[in-house]
Amino acid sequence: MYWGGNPAECHPRHFTKYTLMQKSKFLPRGRKDRTMVLVDIRETKSAKASDIFLQVRPGKDFELITILRAMIKEQHVGDEQIAETGMTREVLDDLVHRMKSCKFGCFFFGMGLSMTRGKHMNSAALLTLAAEMNAFTKFVAMPMRGHGNVTGADVIMRWQTGYPFGITFNRGYPRYNPGEFSTVDVLVRGDCDAAFIIGADPGATMPQPAIEHLKRIPTICLDPHVTHTSNLARVHITTAPQGIAAPGTAYRMDELPLPLKPALKSPYPSDEEVVRRINAAIAEKPFWLAEGSQPQMITNQV
Amino acid sequence: MTITLTLKQAPAVPLEAEVLSPDVFAELSNAEIRALIVYNGKRQVPLEEFFDVDGERSDELVLHGDLTKVRLIGRGMSKGSVTVHGRVGMHLGAHMKGGRIEVHGDASDWIGAEMKNGFIHVHGNAGGQIGAAYRGSLAGMKNGTIIVDGTAGLEVGMRMRRGTIILGGQAKDFTGLQMKGGTIILMDGAEIRTGAWMNRGTIISMKPIKLMPTFAESNDSNPTFMNVYARQLKRFGVNLPFAASEGIYQRFSGDLAVPGNGEILVWQPA
Repeated sequence: MYWGGNPAECHPRHFTKYTLMQKSKFLPRGRKDRTMVLVDIRETKSAKASDIFLQVRPGKDFELITILRAMIKEQHVGDEQIAETGMTREVLDDLVHRMKSCKFGCFFFGMGLSMTRGKHMNSAALLTLAAEMNAFTKFVAMPMRGHGNVTGADVIMRWQTGYPFGITFNRGYPRYNPGEFSTVDVLVRGDCDAAFIIGADPGATMPQPAIEHLKRIPTICLDPHVTHTSNLARVHITTAPQGIAAPGTAYRMDELPLPLKPALKSPYPSDEEVVRRINAAIAEKPFWLAEGSQPQMITNQV
Repeated sequence: MTITLTLKQAPAVPLEAEVLSPDVFAELSNAEIRALIVYNGKRQVPLEEFFDVDGERSDELVLHGDLTKVRLIGRGMSKGSVTVHGRVGMHLGAHMKGGRIEVHGDASDWIGAEMKNGFIHVHGNAGGQIGAAYRGSLAGMKNGTIIVDGTAGLEVGMRMRRGTIILGGQAKDFTGLQMKGGTIILMDGAEIRTGAWMNRGTIISMKPIKLMPTFAESNDSNPTFMNVYARQLKRFGVNLPFAASEGIYQRFSGDLAVPGNGEILVWQPA
């Protein structure tokens, strides 16, 4: 089930390599053994590949998922309320039946879900639905990531700190609070007095107040190319492109690590080397706290 | 006798000052207070670098200045009072166990998050996640009262277990998200998805609100508990109508997705 994404155009190899076409021991007929449902606000090219296309009203994803959560528990939801999301009872009854009777279901959700009104709660709704579907059959949910190796950043942060993003280290240990420590919010409020950007282009994607703040503060950017961010940065260090001229590990969307071998040579250092050298230079400076003092854990206060 | 703290200059990065609490100040001399450690970003600095301190050994704090970037004020306090004249930063009165906080100005997100008891009154507008549970935590505020005269942000009372939140202005989306108990009173309604995934608890709205599709209308009534509430809330200057002659409360129950026994009462004036 694809929700709020357009894999036919954005992840063109997704159908053939992973979700629809592959033949396997338990699904020997490939596409014929699978059912694909697409939920989106408009009929995209992916709709042609789907068995069932559900056109949800814009901004009603959270409501629709919540209705599905109620329906799988056999709670009665009114026809009028269902119609508000752009669906009918017959369609949803059929969908719930198919979801419950399948052997292994998977939700793939895109920016149409996670970046519309409700944001993280829309994703949370789909994840909760997937969790609750496991009372009936195996079900998982997976985000359709946009850029290369976003998954890698999440995975590494997770095993290093226990949290995937939105972390502060100012007390000497990781603390997690998206909305307070996540990059966009920190920049929009103007909470930081320096920025170090690696492998990203926030200058192209972030809201205007965040970009304005990046211009105000010393911004250091590591990137092989000239980007929006490198143009507004105080320092731009050109690095070798990962996977082309620098080795490394990229994480596939399903969190499978893939080693990358460089095909070309680059006169520039890799991101890793630059960060290593910056770290070495910082290590020579005196410790930022007074002699003998430790950062105080915030939980000691409660 | 009170302790007056005046902000000298606004910090450039967030100042984490959980020591700004009556529990900490109660037994300390002026010099000891000035030497208390606050976190300016990751750096430990004495309190006197940012604040002028006047007074000592008191559990009544008065703060002046634009404290937008000063966080964690009154965290875990159990007695006394904090009065803020000006804007105030995040996590005001988080985990507080008692005492009272009054803000003459705007407040930010996470005020009274996971508080156990006490009283918070914000005279201006507030941010989101009022009395909420922190990310990954199961229960938000457990008791106490939060009053906001102005508007509020997202996820007010998220996963709250008990206690009362009263909003004078409008709240944004997801008010009472995954509520487990307690009461939220909306004097000016809220935007969409009010009471989403609520399990138990009561949301009372004085204005018509957009409900989730998974709420079912159950009945119209004037619940008897409402006049007890109204009498209690009169002390805070909140007028809750309850007489049958004035109107009636439309009751919706949900959220069916959980399935929960929460209730949303919407006032219908006669």
